[in-house]
Amino acid sequence: MVKICVIRVGGTNCDEETKRALDELGAVCEVIHFKKIVKGKKKLSSYDALIIPGGFSFGDHVRAGAILGKEMKYVLSKELKRFVEEGRPILGICNGFQVLVEADLLPGFGGGIPQAALAINDSARFECRWVYLRVESGGKCIFTRGLKKGEVVSMPVAHAEGKFVFPKGKEEEYLKKLVGGDQLVFRYCNDRGEPARRKYPENPNGSFYDIAGICDPTGMIFGMMPHPERAAFGIQLHNWTEMEDIPEYGDGMSIFRSLMEYLGCGG
Amino acid sequence: MRSVYERKPLPFELFEVNLLEASEEQLMRISEEMGLALSLKEMKWCKRYFSEKGRNPTDVELQTIGQTWSEHCFHKTFKGITLMDGRRIRLFRDYIARVTEELSPNWCISVFKDNAGIVEFENGYAIAVKVETHNHPSAIEPFGGAATGVGGVIRDILGVWAKPIANLDVLGFGPLNFPYEDLPPGIKHPKYIFRGVVAGIGAYGNNMGIPTVAGAIHFDESYVGNPVVYCGCVGLLPVSSYVKSTRPGDLAVLVGGRTGRDGIHGVTFASLELGEESEEVSRPAVQIPDPIEEEKLRRAILRVRDKKLASGITDLGGGGISCACGEMAREANCGIEVELDRVPLKYSDMRPWEIWISESQERMFLSVPESNVGEVIDIFEEEDVEATPIGKFVEGGALKVFFRSWKVGELDLKFLFSPPVVRRKAKWQLPALREPRFKERDVEKTLLELLASPNVASKEEIIRTYDHEVQGNTVLKPLHGRYGGPSDAAVIRPLSNSWKGVVISCGLKPRYGKIDPYWMAASSIEEAIRNNVAVGGRRIALLDNFVWGNPEREEQLGSLVRACRACYDFAKIFETPFISGKDSLYNESPLGPVTPTLLITAVGVVPDVRKIVSVEFKRAGDPVYVLGRTYPELGGSEYYSLLGLVGRSVPRVHPSKAKASMDSLMRAIEYGIVKACHDVSDGGLGVALAEMVLSGDLGVDVDLREVPTSGIGGRRDFIMFSESNSRFVVEVRPGSEEEFESIVKADYALVGAVTRRRALVIREKEKILVDLSSGKMREAWKIRYG
Amino acid sequence: MGKVKKYRAKVEVRLKSGYLDPEGESAKKALIDLKYPVGRVSTAKVYEIEFAASGLRKAWMVVEEMCKKLLANPVKDDYSFEVEEIR
Repeated sequence: MVKICVIRVGGTNCDEETKRALDELGAVCEVIHFKKIVKGKKKLSSYDALIIPGGFSFGDHVRAGAILGKEMKYVLSKELKRFVEEGRPILGICNGFQVLVEADLLPGFGGGIPQAALAINDSARFECRWVYLRVESGGKCIFTRGLKKGEVVSMPVAHAEGKFVFPKGKEEEYLKKLVGGDQLVFRYCNDRGEPARRKYPENPNGSFYDIAGICDPTGMIFGMMPHPERAAFGIQLHNWTEMEDIPEYGDGMSIFRSLMEYLGCGG
Repeated sequence: MRSVYERKPLPFELFEVNLLEASEEQLMRISEEMGLALSLKEMKWCKRYFSEKGRNPTDVELQTIGQTWSEHCFHKTFKGITLMDGRRIRLFRDYIARVTEELSPNWCISVFKDNAGIVEFENGYAIAVKVETHNHPSAIEPFGGAATGVGGVIRDILGVWAKPIANLDVLGFGPLNFPYEDLPPGIKHPKYIFRGVVAGIGAYGNNMGIPTVAGAIHFDESYVGNPVVYCGCVGLLPVSSYVKSTRPGDLAVLVGGRTGRDGIHGVTFASLELGEESEEVSRPAVQIPDPIEEEKLRRAILRVRDKKLASGITDLGGGGISCACGEMAREANCGIEVELDRVPLKYSDMRPWEIWISESQERMFLSVPESNVGEVIDIFEEEDVEATPIGKFVEGGALKVFFRSWKVGELDLKFLFSPPVVRRKAKWQLPALREPRFKERDVEKTLLELLASPNVASKEEIIRTYDHEVQGNTVLKPLHGRYGGPSDAAVIRPLSNSWKGVVISCGLKPRYGKIDPYWMAASSIEEAIRNNVAVGGRRIALLDNFVWGNPEREEQLGSLVRACRACYDFAKIFETPFISGKDSLYNESPLGPVTPTLLITAVGVVPDVRKIVSVEFKRAGDPVYVLGRTYPELGGSEYYSLLGLVGRSVPRVHPSKAKASMDSLMRAIEYGIVKACHDVSDGGLGVALAEMVLSGDLGVDVDLREVPTSGIGGRRDFIMFSESNSRFVVEVRPGSEEEFESIVKADYALVGAVTRRRALVIREKEKILVDLSSGKMREAWKIRYG
Repeated sequence: MGKVKKYRAKVEVRLKSGYLDPEGESAKKALIDLKYPVGRVSTAKVYEIEFAASGLRKAWMVVEEMCKKLLANPVKDDYSFEVEEIR
């Protein structure tokens, strides 16, 4: 039996649909308030994986994901470190990705200072739209092992702060590191799989190198801006009405299925 | 004579108001100075009440009355008596409520009475719907005004124990290119208001994780001084959770954010016209939004609901605690005693009456049996929300207010809820408008212009700033498919163990109101239903939301009477009951009243969401039909408006034909032979066909001569751009033509076929009138609003 | 020494130069609409923080830490602050 913890705080709001996708795959998924973990009322160690879902944690005050990210970094650092060392994966979706970056868990190059940020979209607006993603992972990221490198998948994004940036002047160095370490997982692309080259709206936020999702050097911690839980079922797709037969699942389900397979509960 | 206001010798500020000795002139001055917005008749009514009690009122008491009797809270006009054409009319009872009474559908669970209308859904669940307006606050502070409008209507849904599952927003602004020089002082530019309102709606809904799935935006000169902001919310609740059993002994628990000076007098000033002074005078009336507080509040309330710990709930909206206490006690047929000093405050120096009527956001009110209070407070604490018992429901029928153990107010609820009936005169006459005469225009060029006109063009730039996917249940999206096709309605599938869906659509025809509010209302109802039926909706319930000018003007009230009359006539014909509604009157500015605006929201169900129908064409070669007849009805149309005209040939609704059209389509969709469908509305047949093409990867080739028409005399521009009601464009499954034709009991014609070539071709036999690629049309249609 | 005093810090967080400031850009567009021929427009966030510390030097160090730990993301943000004693 796989037990998964979906964390929530005030302002989290994609917990239910995330749980629904995992329930479909037979996971036992609990939505737990972060406070309960901090206070020790719930133990992280009793779960096999941790998911930080989308939403606006703590109202995204200060910066998107910053408050929860810093609380994780300064209050839960030991527990999280042990969690990952014991082979338990962490997934951050949308706001969860912002949290993982703010917590310095991604890209996880080490050194104790933030190495990336998710800045305000170039359009200066919230953007809710379907995008195409090209799989860049060569297999390190455990959340995309069910997908092949070069494959194109489609999911929606919905955020105002999703522009992935590296520090100025360090872009090439860090990108090399990211690609070299097989940490680059998803890039925004067009329907034929060609990189968006920062062109709007294929790249909906202006992300550097069209980066949509990355993992840490271990492949166990993964963050992505698009929402796999909103593309988990065929009926959620934006173009299902154009299809001859409605597929049972959407591309998003492969993220959760890869996780379940990694945890030994595939199929 | 003593002075009018006398401060009581107490350790806090409380005034006694010398009503008993006040002259008529003084009564009116009191009403004005205290911001009560009460009429002389109402002030005299108060004076008599306190004379009988043998004492003068306190400021707390007069403020309570002012709030409870405000147009916003009590709907004096709709509940009052209107005299027109020698008839005595009660708008609400004789027109709106009467439809529902006469139809009395067994699937309606609660209508008009509560915070939201409630209808049955599936597996023991019900759907709750509410639509509100927030025009005045949005005129003064667009972002905060619109955001708190969304927040308020969400609380209405929580206020019937429902979980919010979808938002809808319908907005009206002045033209965005309105010259700055022509703005009267104190009026903000439409662009500024537009940006703020759109951002405010997005911010609140997105932060709360409620998808914004339906709506409309309409631009009209009459909205320059007074924007229109309708906020709606749809919720889902287990029928068994709909608890209303408040009884004496229960505690009154205030939950949510702290109380500040926000929104003080928001209610009464909503009943006054906006003028030059509005900005400065009204600023404190604007409420400050905090969606995260409400997100936490929602979690806590739904937990309390599921544990069945409370006996009743209501939201704190207009009038704040004062109205919520009074209404809840009256509904439970008991009294209530409130200790105001227990209310958690933002600032410690607030006066009792300010605490009492403050409209601070993100607060709700629960009645909780004493034995459950501890558990309720614990749940709220776990969600980081304050919950404070501030009073108790008691036997009797009085509202008693205390502050630091001093009684600062006592009113009989019976008096408080029976204000004097408003009697007003109304008249109406058809405006002196003429039908224009002009030569036929080039239809291809006109079509492109129409596609790019602000009322027809894609609202993608706005809709994409709203999260319409959160919760993962938006099956038919407002922008559907890869090109963002304009869906006629949104469909939500709220239960993961059922394929049943909720269908949400709107009807809004402000232009027609310039000609005749009767046909405007009829068309709005027809359009809302038509949009619902077009995707597969049925068993439709309606909500009415009126935005009108000052009803104290006879002609304004007269046009309101005409619109209400149409509401009765057509809702009855379509067998669609009204389940909830709201009116916002006094929408006037130095530029005059808004054009009479009625939003009809239609909420239907679809038995299986997998069978719903979207607008984009599906397969080359499929036959394309037009359902319904086209008349020379261009009055108030987008086509006329493009030419700067109004006209008088407003589209009508032909009851039996309209019903036949809808019923036929409903059946054809049920049989699974409809592959694509789009309703014909703004911009007529031309725009409907164009939208079906640009929403997908196919084209269509149509012969205009096949379209069923009457009295149009071959005018191609009229056939293409007339806005006659009750029409649809339908792509039928090949091989099912005969079946389709045998089902259809309305006018119809096979007009053409879907083509592989991505273009709209409209011809008369060999003569090509329109040949536009979908790319070119899309380019015209996707405009920037800025 | 040792006596705790009250301080007020005013922290300004802004985007590092070289990063696009989309909020500034959209404010610029709006101002131009209002017929103000403005040049570059940039945005910043200001925090006013009241706290206690044993002295001005200590107060400065605390604020510096607050910025590094939470208020600014050094990848994209610059920050500056002033600290004053309050009574």
